[in-house]
Amino acid sequence: MGLQGLQTMQTKPNAGLFKRNPPIAGEAEAIERAKAGDPDAFSKLYSLHKRRVYTLCLRMLGNVSEAEDMTQEAFLHLFRKLGSFRGESAFSTWLHRLTVNLVLMHLRKKGLQLVSLEETINPSEEDAPKRDFGSRDTQLAGSVDRVTLERAVASLPPGYRMVFVLHDVEGFEHNEIATMLECSTGNSKSQLHKARLKLRELLRHPDQLPETESSREVVQ
Amino acid sequence: MSDLPNLDFDSMTVAEFEQYLPELFASQESGHLSDDPRLAKFLAANPDCAALVRDLETIAETAKSLFVSEEEPSDSVWSNIANKLKQQTGDGDDPVDLSE
Repeated sequence: MGLQGLQTMQTKPNAGLFKRNPPIAGEAEAIERAKAGDPDAFSKLYSLHKRRVYTLCLRMLGNVSEAEDMTQEAFLHLFRKLGSFRGESAFSTWLHRLTVNLVLMHLRKKGLQLVSLEETINPSEEDAPKRDFGSRDTQLAGSVDRVTLERAVASLPPGYRMVFVLHDVEGFEHNEIATMLECSTGNSKSQLHKARLKLRELLRHPDQLPETESSREVVQ
Repeated sequence: MSDLPNLDFDSMTVAEFEQYLPELFASQESGHLSDDPRLAKFLAANPDCAALVRDLETIAETAKSLFVSEEEPSDSVWSNIANKLKQQTGDGDDPVDLSE
């Protein structure tokens, strides 16, 4: 789906995302002022949303440099398209979709085929979760901490990671993901399930998980 | 569960459970499949499947907490944005102040 899809999707606000993206104090005024060309207002919008946008890019791309580039692109695109925001969904939801679509287009341009139906989403055989999903030796010992899960998510094959981040972290619904990734809702459900199974495997050996790129950079 | 066939949850096989698990999870708005009374008997009879459901629920639940976990982009991101916007919006005579 191209960026034009944003206009269509804006007319179908997602109640779940509204819940997760409550209005921010001063945001509405900043949007109107930024629409009128006020640079300070645009700077405020950047300050309000940079972390959400950057974190989304980082999770989807798994690479700090690319995530920063895409964050930059997202806000430049926002600057150009802000006038088309009609307020029919939460601004953060709209910006979120804009960012997701930019990242997906970026990945398609890279030729990684991360988001088309077959190769994009389907990982190689060795990346796929094992079939003995119900056996006791694959069970998690107990609860999962957030940092460990973040590292496990970063270790997922890109296609699995994409669907998992969009659904379980960002709160998009399967029909929305299917539209964005140009696949069926059944495919989205199936890939999400495989992603969770793969995470279950990865989380059984947290000591073997690589550090995320962002945490490495912090250490450096 | 409109996408599910008329499953007899009590006599469902493990293979059927595996086959329909993605749809079963997707059909639960709460994400807590273990709370579904229709599955109670099956999960009680199949502890490995019950453990699987619990694990996947834990993963999905923990994933929600990642939503509020945010990272900070470097300062250079805004510098680049501001520079590009100056190039796009300014004609050079009246540069736009885009300091954050």
